[in-house]
Amino acid sequence: MESDAPIVVVKDIEKRFGNYVAVSDFNLDLKQREFFSLLGPSGCGKTTALRMIAGFQQPSKGEIFIDGAPMRDVPANLRPTNMVFQSYAIFPHLNVADNVGFGLRKKGLSRQEIDQQVREALEMVELPNLGTRKADELSGGQRQRVALARALVMRPKVLLLDEPLSALDKKLRETMQLELRRLQQSVGITFVMVTHDQYEAMTMSDRIGVMFQGKLAQVDTPKRLYSAPLNREVASFVGSMNFLKTSLRAEAADVLRVEADGVGPMAVKRNPYGIESGHEPLVGIRPEQLEIGTAQPSGYDVAVKGKVTNVAFYGESIHYYVGIDGQDEPCAVAVTNYFHTVDHQVGDDVWIGFQNSSVIDLGKYQETGSPGF
Amino acid sequence: MAISLRSDSAKGYALSMPAVVYVGFLVAVPLALMVAHSFWTQDYIDINRELTLENYRQAVDDPLIRLLLIRSVVIAGLVTGLTVLLAYPIAYFIAFKTQKKALWLILVTIPFWSSYLLRVFAWKLILGYNGVLNSGLLTVGLIDEPLSFILYNPNAVVLTLAHAWAPFAILPIYVSLQKIDPSLLEAATDLGNTAIERFLRVTLPLSIPGVIAASLIIFIPTVGDYVTPALVGGADGKMIANLIQVQFGAANDWPMGATLSIMAILVVAFVAAVFVISLRSAGRRIR
Repeated sequence: MESDAPIVVVKDIEKRFGNYVAVSDFNLDLKQREFFSLLGPSGCGKTTALRMIAGFQQPSKGEIFIDGAPMRDVPANLRPTNMVFQSYAIFPHLNVADNVGFGLRKKGLSRQEIDQQVREALEMVELPNLGTRKADELSGGQRQRVALARALVMRPKVLLLDEPLSALDKKLRETMQLELRRLQQSVGITFVMVTHDQYEAMTMSDRIGVMFQGKLAQVDTPKRLYSAPLNREVASFVGSMNFLKTSLRAEAADVLRVEADGVGPMAVKRNPYGIESGHEPLVGIRPEQLEIGTAQPSGYDVAVKGKVTNVAFYGESIHYYVGIDGQDEPCAVAVTNYFHTVDHQVGDDVWIGFQNSSVIDLGKYQETGSPGF
Repeated sequence: MAISLRSDSAKGYALSMPAVVYVGFLVAVPLALMVAHSFWTQDYIDINRELTLENYRQAVDDPLIRLLLIRSVVIAGLVTGLTVLLAYPIAYFIAFKTQKKALWLILVTIPFWSSYLLRVFAWKLILGYNGVLNSGLLTVGLIDEPLSFILYNPNAVVLTLAHAWAPFAILPIYVSLQKIDPSLLEAATDLGNTAIERFLRVTLPLSIPGVIAASLIIFIPTVGDYVTPALVGGADGKMIANLIQVQFGAANDWPMGATLSIMAILVVAFVAAVFVISLRSAGRRIR
């Protein structure tokens, strides 16, 4: 059962810079061979958390274990971790092969062994025959591959990636997302990636940890994070979400009967994380879970009349914003752009419909403390 | 079209004219005159304008000139080495170890606020027979009579110049250290290097351009310096520039002075080229 033991255990970590608390109450177990992402807005402490695992920063409190060994007295250069830096940090005075072999030279290997491993690493990141290229002659995508090869050639127990794709253009970023994932599965090393891009995190990761203000809010698989977010913060950061303030009418063991102004009664499954909803539960519905039409839709648990206030065309989908009497915020409806999709114009009267099973209980409604939707 | 082109090129010439005049009259013409003089000879009070290599033959054969040239290069080399060696840690400190960079950079330039001549005189006061150093040591009782080997010899020249040139070395080295991306240092650590290995494998090779700039800025004017050796160098501290000064002054042999100047320029150029090439290739060999 050795492979089931977590490769990294982060226990009760806190990091302070003077009076500023960058990270607190941080607990995390990373499994062997998993792709884990730390997701959060800038300044939430995700990079600090990553740097503490790497050993560039010391936690003010708590302990980090890698493969069972406590890391408190292990300096960064002796930790079984390697990092892909946001700027890639390719040594400008060395060529590609010497960059990739930089760490190997410390391991007392023969020249042939180093050359061999460097060649294999460059083939793995699909950069063969680039060994003699100077660092400043590389494109952004090539630099990133060199940074990856340089870290992976060290065979770390954990590979740490600090916003690895943020410097690439959109097209290249999407290619690299798939490639990083493929690479991670083929080398079988635990990857920990820091990102502020929810789509990047969702497409690549086995699990995601969402961070706000130095704390891990929720750790879960991308699917569950999307379908069962813990609270309003997580729900609005991962994907988009329509929020409705409701009043509690009745409650059963796991179902709440609620009613929202202008929308009517709904039956919502109780928040699975045990968050109390009180008398005014906040519920959420994903835009793509809503049906929109000119006639009253049949077969839906809830149907509401409204007026289109805005239309956003995304190519593969169209987002309609529908104003509902009794609700301050318009409700977003995402429709896949089939060629037979009916276009609604701003000002059109429309019906929207949804099932009770699409409604998510996000706990008690609160006026403040939520990032804007 | 043609008219506007002509006016454009005319504008270009007009704009570059001040620089052409400036460089031409203040650099090119004097240099050409000096080269010309070196091939002429002094004929008592007249100058014989017949082209000849006589001056060069005399200069190469003269053991005194050879000695002074070699000594100039050696002293300048020592000054350069000592200055860069002392400046590097200061530049490193300012670049990496302090938040008050502006304050330290201003402090570094403070010696410039007084004249070069005054700084040399200050060292004379410190190192002299009855100077600050000797009287201090006498008072403390560490010595019984004033030390005489600290002034009027090459050591005094090296010491004085190493102090005078310090900002010239600190600033370029600081700039090249400052440019190093901190994530490169973290990457080196991440790849298993200790602080010392990281310095030798990343920081040092990346700061070589600054070291080269500092070395040239110091070495070139030091070879030709004549104020410091004249004031604190004594007989053993005289350098080639002192002889050149004599040729243009008391000896009134301008052609010989020009010849010595040209030889000094060639020697400096040669030594500097060898230095730059070998330092660069040494830097490239670090992996």
